[in-house]
Amino acid sequence: MHIEIADNGAFGSALVSLNPGEEFVSEAGSMFRMSSNVDVDVTTRSRSSGGIMSGIKRMFAGESFFFSRYIVANDEEAEVGLAPMLQGQVALIECDGKTRWVCGGGSYLGSTVDLNIDTQFQGLRGALSGESLSFITVEGVGPLLVNAFGLITELEVQGSLTIDTGHVVAFEESLEYSIGKAGGSWIQSFLTSEGLVMNFEGHGRVYVQSHNPDEFGKTLGPMLPLRKR
Amino acid sequence: MEFDIQGNPDYGQVRVRLNPGEKFIAEGGSMAWMDSAMQSKARLLGGFFRALLRKVTGGESMFVGEYFSDIGGEAAFSPSTPGTVLQRTLQGDSIILTAGSFMACTPGVELSTKFGGMRGLFSGEGLFFLECSGNGELFFNSYGAIIEKEIDGSFIVDTSHVVAWEPSLSYSIQGMGGIKSTLLSGEGLVMNFSGTGKIFLQTRTLNGMASWLSPFTV
Repeated sequence: MHIEIADNGAFGSALVSLNPGEEFVSEAGSMFRMSSNVDVDVTTRSRSSGGIMSGIKRMFAGESFFFSRYIVANDEEAEVGLAPMLQGQVALIECDGKTRWVCGGGSYLGSTVDLNIDTQFQGLRGALSGESLSFITVEGVGPLLVNAFGLITELEVQGSLTIDTGHVVAFEESLEYSIGKAGGSWIQSFLTSEGLVMNFEGHGRVYVQSHNPDEFGKTLGPMLPLRKR
Repeated sequence: MEFDIQGNPDYGQVRVRLNPGEKFIAEGGSMAWMDSAMQSKARLLGGFFRALLRKVTGGESMFVGEYFSDIGGEAAFSPSTPGTVLQRTLQGDSIILTAGSFMACTPGVELSTKFGGMRGLFSGEGLFFLECSGNGELFFNSYGAIIEKEIDGSFIVDTSHVVAWEPSLSYSIQGMGGIKSTLLSGEGLVMNFSGTGKIFLQTRTLNGMASWLSPFTV
């Protein structure tokens, strides 16, 4: 398996080359090109475990209900191109199995079938964060693709780091987080319209996106006409 | 203080490294991430009444955030729309920004709200401009890429594409050619700049994007 990221910047995509016998999974709807020797299977699970419930749980994580599963149909090399809906960069994370990765609202794009994808209910933390009620967790060894709104930056946390909830793409589960306010007090937070942040503690890597899709939506939204009811 | 602008022209953001005691001022809601040692405080932008007026008439935020840390640290700031972030060093000179173009600055920069008068109203750029002067670093942003143009004489620009200009330039509002071309060219009103100085233009407008998207709302 070989993955190439095309076009950094606003219009990133990924091209996955598969050897015979290899399989890849992506969020449904993200395939934009593939060779004709690929069989696509639409499923609610990434591997043999899980079923309808894992699809439903995934919807709470801001992801689609279905996965697309790509299987090489013959003994030739195959390729699958994946492009996310949001404009921005696509990043490749090589999961080494030491720690699980957690993907924030809508940032999961695809992964090798060897990785175990699950959802993790965030409870009140998730509801407060404005991200989503649950996060996608990724476990195992192999490549994982994430997408973002804008530029993706990898940050190494040693100690603590504060990230606006709208900017988190993915993080290593070795990091603990709590939801807090950005300013010194709730009033300060409100006045600067910074709202809520995630306070990360510990040691691990975080991927952040340069722009906040909700902020852009809030800026563009009022310029659009009202929906007809 | 060190700055690093990344992601231009489509997703510009600025990373700032602060030394102990240094302060950085940024538009409300623009903080993407920061060292947890960083603190922030809300500050009024350009005086209370002007800030309030701008809020009511232009829908801009009244407050900016002031970021600082006792032990120093790093933070990143991004505007709410995709586009370019530019840095400009002010050394006693000044620059005028249109509504929504301000992103961040160092404390030596003074921000004052300027009433654009009827010209401002007709320009479609809002009633108020922000005049930035003093000594320090200023960061402003656009939707789309930014074109810098040195003007000597006179120059015509579409009102909605203006991001910033140097105050040595003066401008007047006019139609595009005669009444027929004003109404039919799709350009509406234009600003005619004259004098010697630099102007900053954005290559796209969010309003244009919105009106293109509008027929698709269901």
